[in-house]
Amino acid sequence: MATIIHAVLGYFVLIIVVRVLKRRAGSQMTLFEFVLVFLMGGIIILSTVGNDRSVTNCTCAVIAVGLMHRSVSWAKSKSPRIGAVLDGTPLAVIKQGEWQPEIMNGMKLRREDIEAAGRSAGVTKPEDIDYAVLERNGRISVFPKD
Amino acid sequence: MSAQPFTTPVEDSVPKTNDELAIGENLDFQRKWWRFERIIWIFFAVILLCDLLGLFGRGWLAKAERSTPDNGLILKYERIERASTPSIMTLDFGPAAIQGGRIQVFVSNSIVMPLGAQRIAPQPQQSSVGNGGITYTFAATQSPAAVQIALEPSFPGLHSFRVQVVGRQPIDANIFVVP
Repeated sequence: MATIIHAVLGYFVLIIVVRVLKRRAGSQMTLFEFVLVFLMGGIIILSTVGNDRSVTNCTCAVIAVGLMHRSVSWAKSKSPRIGAVLDGTPLAVIKQGEWQPEIMNGMKLRREDIEAAGRSAGVTKPEDIDYAVLERNGRISVFPKD
Repeated sequence: MSAQPFTTPVEDSVPKTNDELAIGENLDFQRKWWRFERIIWIFFAVILLCDLLGLFGRGWLAKAERSTPDNGLILKYERIERASTPSIMTLDFGPAAIQGGRIQVFVSNSIVMPLGAQRIAPQPQQSSVGNGGITYTFAATQSPAAVQIALEPSFPGLHSFRVQVVGRQPIDANIFVVP
């Protein structure tokens, strides 16, 4: 019983903290962010299973987390608002070849991040980028000028 | 197998930006979210500050001390504890508590069950149950003398307890256990 409550609470605590950590915890992951994800996951595990490390307890915790994840995915598919709250919305950091400083500052992005994404898309110069979009999963999509 | 053909047309499901690219950008929502982020980071900072001060146990605000008017018993404990986390309750005895070379102290059952007494040091010469608690008898020479009870609460919530040197005024107190 306590394990299931702890697993559900831990799931939501992790979702909230990761969600407010800007959009880089899952994608565009550097070593710096790997430390964050492993450390937070490890800490939540401690309170979820407590001193009971039996197969039964751990299985219940895994099932509870799986059920929560499925329920949240279902809610996201039914409500775009919930989807926006949990995943955010895509944001254009370059629009028609113009930097969008409000988005860059708000999302704590650096120009180097966008330029790196441009190189991945085969664009060698930033001024050749028409649109750069920070996607919900943290990736940056780059659309070169025609 | 259903014979109904697939009829939903494939088209943009999100609004276009500058009438060019269907991104689905929602800057109003994003600005509200940034405001929410600022608030929640302040909230997180307040939580950490409360933790440092001991509002969630194991800190300055959590420590408590109570004594009887004759100073026969001075009780040091944590008024806020954490579930499944060990702590020590210390009973310091003054000269008034030592009678006939021994100290008899009563602790209520709540010390044992919800507050999870794990062990008592030193071991009592004798222990007897009754009156909703346990009475321990320790051999004692002279003050200062102390007994320590290791607690590990199992259940979150507010738990009342009583500690009393037999024949003297009791100390009634509460411990709040956070999950």
